Amino acid sequence: MSSSRRGFLQTAVLGGAAILLKLPVLAQEAPAGKPKRFEPNKWITVGADGRVTLIAPRSEMGQGARTSLAMILAEELEADWKSIVLEHATPGPKYPGMRTSGSSSVSDCWRALRLAGAAAREMLVEAAARRWSVPAAECRARNSAVVHAPTGRIFGYGELVPAAVTLPVPENPRLKDPKDYRLLGTRVLRLESRAIATGRAVYGIDARPSNALVGVVARCPVPGGRARGFDPAAATAVPGVREVVRLSTGIAVVADDTWAAMKGRDALKVDWDEGENRADSTETYWKRLETASARAHVTRKVGDVEAALSRSARRLSAEYRYSFQAHAPVEPMNCFADVRDGRCEIRVGTQAPNEAQAAAAKLLGIPLEAVTLHVTLLGGGFGRRLDHDYVPEAVELSRAIRRPVQVVWTRRDDFENDRFQPASLHNLSAGLDATGRLIAWSHKMTSFHLTMFGPYEEGNVDPDSENPWGAFDCPYEIPALSAASSVARSPVPTGAWRAVDYPPSVFARESFLDEVAAASGRDPVALRLDLLKSPEVVKIGSGEIDRRRLSAVIALAAQKASWSAPLRAVPGRRVGRGIAANVYHARTHMAQVAEVSVGKEGDVRVHRVVCAADCGQVINLSGAESQVEGAIAWGLSAALKTEITFRNGSVEQHSYRDYPVLRLPEMPSIETYMVSSGAGPSGMGEQPVPPVGPAVANAIFAATGVRVRKLPVRADEVVDRG
Amino acid sequence: MARFRLTVNATRREVDAEPDTPLLWVLRDRLGLNGTKYGCGVGVCGACTVLEGGKEIRSCQVPVQAAAGRRFTTIEGLSRDGSHPCQRAWLEEDVSQCGYCQPGMILAAAALLERSARPTDAEVDAVFSEHVCRCGSYPRIRRAVARASAAGGAR
Repeated sequence: MSSSRRGFLQTAVLGGAAILLKLPVLAQEAPAGKPKRFEPNKWITVGADGRVTLIAPRSEMGQGARTSLAMILAEELEADWKSIVLEHATPGPKYPGMRTSGSSSVSDCWRALRLAGAAAREMLVEAAARRWSVPAAECRARNSAVVHAPTGRIFGYGELVPAAVTLPVPENPRLKDPKDYRLLGTRVLRLESRAIATGRAVYGIDARPSNALVGVVARCPVPGGRARGFDPAAATAVPGVREVVRLSTGIAVVADDTWAAMKGRDALKVDWDEGENRADSTETYWKRLETASARAHVTRKVGDVEAALSRSARRLSAEYRYSFQAHAPVEPMNCFADVRDGRCEIRVGTQAPNEAQAAAAKLLGIPLEAVTLHVTLLGGGFGRRLDHDYVPEAVELSRAIRRPVQVVWTRRDDFENDRFQPASLHNLSAGLDATGRLIAWSHKMTSFHLTMFGPYEEGNVDPDSENPWGAFDCPYEIPALSAASSVARSPVPTGAWRAVDYPPSVFARESFLDEVAAASGRDPVALRLDLLKSPEVVKIGSGEIDRRRLSAVIALAAQKASWSAPLRAVPGRRVGRGIAANVYHARTHMAQVAEVSVGKEGDVRVHRVVCAADCGQVINLSGAESQVEGAIAWGLSAALKTEITFRNGSVEQHSYRDYPVLRLPEMPSIETYMVSSGAGPSGMGEQPVPPVGPAVANAIFAATGVRVRKLPVRADEVVDRG
Repeated sequence: MARFRLTVNATRREVDAEPDTPLLWVLRDRLGLNGTKYGCGVGVCGACTVLEGGKEIRSCQVPVQAAAGRRFTTIEGLSRDGSHPCQRAWLEEDVSQCGYCQPGMILAAAALLERSARPTDAEVDAVFSEHVCRCGSYPRIRRAVARASAAGGAR
């Protein structure tokens, strides 16, 4: 058996090489008495009582990551799912990479967690085999126990702890054959569900200890502005308010409880210097994009697009727009911090625990180890909690008042200080030859840079970059093709918003392809399948797209939606069906067919969305389906209902009243079909967002003949003029 | 600061609070009942829903002085052990994603089934058009309501 360094050392120690005992590399020192637990690696602990504890290294914000990761460990460990205990990792040297982004939790951890589970399983099996003095090959692990098949003898995992801790950790444990999976691919209830349904689940906002104060911060309503001065008198006159403190983000009102802090903040008089954005409006920002679009960088080039366009028998051009959007998670930003005696404790719902911990340590000038950060559940993340701006703010306040304090944002604070999805402008051109064949395609995306990921640099486009997502990795075979990117300095905070570039760029790409289909008299499904025929596998930048996988989901979605059959009429309304497809970073392949009806006044109803997806190995089928449902709701909000606008530099939306996210009566029926291609797992949290906007826009075109080129769609564009 | 008496989850409680403090913050900050969530503070999202006499109300819109003498049920008091038909249905349908809005959703479902054991789609729409789930758990909420209804409704 090959073994890890730790295993080697333990074997050596048993062999009498006592000198090695001095080396501090033993993961688990040989215990003096009976060992209480078996800890073969940092992911798994088996207690002498048989309890299996699994460590979750990714944040849970509704995407089901913790359940999926625990399922992977439990599958290989052969742990009894009903009795596992989940603990959240704490960021630090032991758990350095906890960032939860890019729908990558499962694919990032897939190999490491399978190996960790399999290694532990092999050790437990070996421990049992030794106690029975039988070959390990005669023993099988199942439901947190090892069974000796020939005799039916059985040891629970807890009973094997003393023997297992003495064994070397196998370096190359045998992973289970996927056909033997009993847990992966099934529908499993999310681990937090019972706590949620009984009100016991702990989100950041619930994690404030009883001795802590509450801070609510007045921040300049115009991004980039700052306080010239403030008068605390009216705020401190509010019963319960303790003090008013200037922070780098604004003016904090500190009180005994949340309501007093909110009232105090509302009473506070602040003299704002609104800064250079004070006259800005949404129109200003669109104009800046129009100007910036002139200096785009070509990031991908196939053939000579200009030449191909000029010799085209027919040429199409269109401009598409996608509006500013907010994250608007129902739990507003909040963070608890307790700074004292050279240490700091933080409790927060974050997608970036290590970065938040590092930011706190840097602010305080203390070592990383002096900052303990507890990751709570997140009441929605969607990329907003990938920024950690709200963490140093609370740390700064606790340091200033020398007390534990929780900073709570109001809903309005949350809207005004979001890291927005920036507006974007898309210029597309296509050329058809005399037979109607698509021979040229160009897609230029102009947007604002994402402030969440660093300051703006002039030009700001690495010519070798694979931006814009969705335009650069356009999966279709077109003889001449180009993708170009232009990024303008963002005047407002911007950041990762569920699927980032893809929702706007795929809206433009898949809608424009629908325009090509209409112009050439082609069926939109048949056209896409034609453009994916050959070559079957294509390398685009660093990714390799298997067009067979994309064709398969397009064909399946079309079939399940009865694409060729007429739609059922809806009295008094125009009906239509549309399709869109996408490959997310060369991994998850997806197609959606939307069925809509449009009323006389231009009101759009989405009745049904059929989604076919190939995300490789499915971990939790119920989780995957719920991500499709939720991401479609997300995409529909932005396609039909919501938009962030600016006036006099300020965000005009302050609650769900004026940012009316989709509600239950507007939810279409969703059907999800998973395609099993045998590939490894590749994520489902963001992937269903991009296709839904264009699928709906294409369905609106089918229903009304009106091409929607800006989202959200406006009713006056699609009123029945007939 | 004044003293107010109210009944929460069948227990009589006394709290010292400013009279305009919303019931939401009395429940959370004074009584430690954190299952009632803050989402918008202006009564449009439904995260702060509690029950009064089987009807759903928005606790962020009821000042404690108006709440005095009344009886409320929060998610913690809907059942002793999570066995209310709506709670069970929520697990059976694996409804929750982030889960933050779900206590409000479950209480809304319980209130609906109390007054209409077999609610129509329109009744379900009317109730849940007043609640926000940013994760989009809506299809499962609809299924869970149907399941709870089939299992005997309110109780």
